[in-house]
Amino acid sequence: MSEARAPAEEGGRSLGEAFRRFMVRPEAPALVFLVVLVAVFSLSSDRFLSRSNFESIVVSVAVLGVIALAVNQVVLCAEIDISTGSMMGLCAVAAGMVASSTGGLVLPLLAAVAVGATAGAVNGLLVTLGRIPAIIVTLGMLYALRGVILLVTGGTWITGIPAETRVLGTGSVLGIDAPVIILLALFLIMELVSRHSTWGRNTFAVGGNRRAARFAGLPINRTRFLAFALVGVFVGVASMIYLGRAGSIQTNTGTGLELQVIAAVVIGGTSIAGGRGSALAALTGAVVIGVILNGLILLGVPGIWQSAVLGALILFAVATDVLRRRLLGYKA
Amino acid sequence: MNLSDDPGAEQAATTADAPGVFRLRNVTKRFGGVTAVEDVDFDLRPGEVHALVGENGAGKSTLMKIVHGLYPPDEGALEVGGEVVEFSSPRDAEGVGIAMIPQELDLFPELSVTENLFVGRQRPRTRWGGLDGRAMRGEARRRLGSLGVDLDVTTTVKQLSAANQQIVAIARALVGEATAVVMDEPTASLTEREVQQLFRIISDLTSGGVGVVYISHRLEEIFQIADRITVLRDGHHITTTPASELDAEELVRLMVGRPLNELFTRHPQEAGEVAVEVRGLTREGEFADVDLNVRRGEIVGLAGLVGAGRTELAQSIFGIHPPDSGQILVDGEEVRIRSPQTAMEKGIFYVPEERRSQGLILPFSIKNNITLSILDRLSRFGFVLRAERRTAERFAKGLSIRGAKISDPVSRLSGGNQQKVVVAKSLAREPSILLLDEPTRGVDVGAKSEIYRLIDDLAREDKAILLISSELEEVLSMSDRVLVMREGRVTGEFDRGEATQERVMTAATAAAEGSREASGDE
Amino acid sequence: MSALTATVRRLRFSREMVLLVVLIVLMIVMSQLSPIFFTLGNLLNTSRFFVEVGLMALGMTLIIITGGIDLSVGSNLALVSVAVGFSFVAGLPLPLAILFGLVVGVAAGLFNGLFITLLHLHPLVVTLGTLALFQGLAYGVSEAEAVSDFPGWFAYFGQAYLGPIPGQLIIFIVAVVVVWLILSRTRFGRYVYAIGNNEEAARFSGVPVRRVKLALYSGIGLLVAMASVIYTSRVYTARGDSGVGLELDVISAVVLGGASIYGGSGTIAGTVLGVLIIATLRNGLILAGVPSTWQLFVLGVLLLVAVFLNEFFRRREE
Repeated sequence: MSEARAPAEEGGRSLGEAFRRFMVRPEAPALVFLVVLVAVFSLSSDRFLSRSNFESIVVSVAVLGVIALAVNQVVLCAEIDISTGSMMGLCAVAAGMVASSTGGLVLPLLAAVAVGATAGAVNGLLVTLGRIPAIIVTLGMLYALRGVILLVTGGTWITGIPAETRVLGTGSVLGIDAPVIILLALFLIMELVSRHSTWGRNTFAVGGNRRAARFAGLPINRTRFLAFALVGVFVGVASMIYLGRAGSIQTNTGTGLELQVIAAVVIGGTSIAGGRGSALAALTGAVVIGVILNGLILLGVPGIWQSAVLGALILFAVATDVLRRRLLGYKA
Repeated sequence: MNLSDDPGAEQAATTADAPGVFRLRNVTKRFGGVTAVEDVDFDLRPGEVHALVGENGAGKSTLMKIVHGLYPPDEGALEVGGEVVEFSSPRDAEGVGIAMIPQELDLFPELSVTENLFVGRQRPRTRWGGLDGRAMRGEARRRLGSLGVDLDVTTTVKQLSAANQQIVAIARALVGEATAVVMDEPTASLTEREVQQLFRIISDLTSGGVGVVYISHRLEEIFQIADRITVLRDGHHITTTPASELDAEELVRLMVGRPLNELFTRHPQEAGEVAVEVRGLTREGEFADVDLNVRRGEIVGLAGLVGAGRTELAQSIFGIHPPDSGQILVDGEEVRIRSPQTAMEKGIFYVPEERRSQGLILPFSIKNNITLSILDRLSRFGFVLRAERRTAERFAKGLSIRGAKISDPVSRLSGGNQQKVVVAKSLAREPSILLLDEPTRGVDVGAKSEIYRLIDDLAREDKAILLISSELEEVLSMSDRVLVMREGRVTGEFDRGEATQERVMTAATAAAEGSREASGDE
Repeated sequence: MSALTATVRRLRFSREMVLLVVLIVLMIVMSQLSPIFFTLGNLLNTSRFFVEVGLMALGMTLIIITGGIDLSVGSNLALVSVAVGFSFVAGLPLPLAILFGLVVGVAAGLFNGLFITLLHLHPLVVTLGTLALFQGLAYGVSEAEAVSDFPGWFAYFGQAYLGPIPGQLIIFIVAVVVVWLILSRTRFGRYVYAIGNNEEAARFSGVPVRRVKLALYSGIGLLVAMASVIYTSRVYTARGDSGVGLELDVISAVVLGGASIYGGSGTIAGTVLGVLIIATLRNGLILAGVPSTWQLFVLGVLLLVAVFLNEFFRRREE
């Protein structure tokens, strides 16, 4: 179709053309969906559309969103990481234990990030050098890390986290909550990294056509390894937000989070087949989940249905992705 | 076009004594027990077009993959600029200026044209260290412009036509400072006009001193642009000669190793009733409004370029991708075929072109492959009967699959024997209508002539045969009638007497104004 | 042995021999750790605990051979358990409630299968979604309550003994034989291997790929439902959080048994050995007084090691 259409490059485009360009963006359906959701919930509950409610939504998905931004890179590489739930728990435990003995913000944060990065690096090594499928590696790690949590804590809660350690979850700057700032800052960083760094560009190529990427001489293993390691780092940061907001850690902290993360990524529009997506997609997906869970509470749906809604959402998102591609006439 | 019109040729004449761009010395490469190339010499001079010809499976692609660093040679050496080099990856080859445009384009369908040109390369950066998108797009536009095309560099590659994808692949290969470019069947899916555009690009390259290795099946193209021709046959180097000292007939004899009339077996006979007919068959973006019929005992050749929609048509009749509209009639009755199972029930069988990915279960034994499509006949209450083995042996013996036991996995067989297993599998089904898609691709000459004899036998047993082939000699020698497809439509029909190379090629390539829509490319 | 070529069979045989040796060594070690381990009573008693995982692993073997996976088995088990328990509470006679549970299990599997085949989605994504969905439905429907006032005869499925042999062990043995026959002797079994090795070629050969997959995912739904009834009967409680994480045990057992996670190979004998090894490990660790917190860790690591060794040896063989 491109050559049939004369060089429209950099010239004025019609509104229809602009709309088409928007609709082929990976996150477009999710953004439209988000707008519809907000409209529906605002109409059905007058408490929904307020600044405080919206801020509380974003705060509630900050942990999820931060992790989704990193897992997004893994999915772009056509891999998957479902170990983040346990990993988050373990990072929080590490931070909590350091905080209990030293207090402060920096040391617990470093501990969380170090533990996360180590776990992420193990994932990455097993996938790249061990050549084990990522789903199996991270499924194994999901359970192994949960085992480590139980082992380290002996099954007891960690409580009494000092206030200065919790500042990433409870603090605010200029009236904006810290989790919101962290989430948006990391989002901007990931947008820049994926657009302007060689690694960021390579993730798209590695996930889009692995064979061609190999022929093009791209460092496929390094690209994938870094994505898995990055997940660890971001999970470390996210665990500090969690710790700050929750103030205590149980042995089941983070259970099921991995599903929400995958849901956020695919709902946002990053293709589970790799090579197509964006940081904005991950962020949008996380906010959509936040809006839905928040809206369900406002509508009085009991919390025990959360998991079902989440599952239905994942299926809905992947199904619409397939249908959208068929409608646009691409042969998958 | 005549040789001296080509600026590259003059260039080649003046630089003939200069050191070569690269040289392969006594190269041998084996895969498992199969020797792909043996003791082959090949060299490329600056500014020349060196055609590499040979039948499928002669070792052309293997040889060039060695040059491009994908395979290390088992014996012999590769010299670049007089020095022996050892490549461990294509990146090393590109490092010394050897670029390759593979037959299956290695592009990134989801990424933009610009992005495709820059993957794995140095990118321009702005003062603040970010990637300079404007500069990249400008550079991309400039590169494509120098190849004489004007594409929207922000579109994703999957939206481009086959020809434009080819051009992006060439532009991509030339991003580095290439001194040698290997093109593997670059015109396989191009129209005549696009071919001429490609030739202009090639002559620009050679006049700039770049050497081009040109792999093609189309002899007229080779005589149009090649300065020298190297012929490979069954992995052996046969000759390297200036193009001006060969003619087409001689070249074919060198490639095939014997006169053509000894290769083919065909006993034309009176055709019977129409066995299968399609009317107005259409599948969006692949083929449109196709009418054709095949009679009992008749072989209908289906010629055309790669991507003309022939494979898609045959697979549609076989129920892999059902048509959007039109009718299929078997023995005069309209049938609805939505899956290969129904096609088989109607007596239709399709022998796919992609042997390894579509024709065979490679880890399965010969027996299990042959019987896979007839298990419904070979089982009772769902349990597979012992008669399976005898049935498989009968069909394997009929095709003289040599050097292997019936329980050996087909992955160990040579290409020719694998193809025989595919054919045996289709015969086991005892179809009345056979759709053969490039049945001799990648098969050695001996197996080829056996397959031709078999096809002739089948026709004489009153089966209706549709023979899809890109080798003109094959189509012309075997068919009772020849249909030609171009861009998804039937553009010519010739009886055995009136079908000639020129007529068929004209119908297959006649300069089409306006390019094909993108969707048919896959 | 029609399904396998001579060479591959030899190779499989050796792989299974290795597993058998591992199992025997493991049993010897365990009997050293705990004197009661190697008693007939304990061994038979252990079998009560692996039957549920074992039944699901049989279905999972076939699915993994086709190159698929089903992560939703644990959640489906909970869903069936809740379906049985709560339809019983709602007034359905228990036999009908059990039948209803079986229908729910098959329907859940069929749902997975339809989603996978109609939309050409990767089973991983679909069953990750249904893992959450089924779990959520089980929670939601049960309102996080438990049901345990079943009539006495319900205990038959999970607590009955025939002489010294637990009833469910007999069910398991029958299931093993049936699935083994299907995989190694029938047309369907041949199709399963064909799809796993080359789905496209299978389709071109007239293998009804979609129907085979639908049958497989529905079939594992049935096996999960049977496992669920046995489980519910054994613990005598129906609740929404039953079976959480069981997919790990199941997949570990299959992979340990030699099935390639990339599809194309795997045997029932291997899977049964895998199930036995994991059960022995779990039981032995409990008897030896190893804290239960270790078990998740051990299982996770075991899964990784099993896949790693599998793929390592497979590459060397090639």
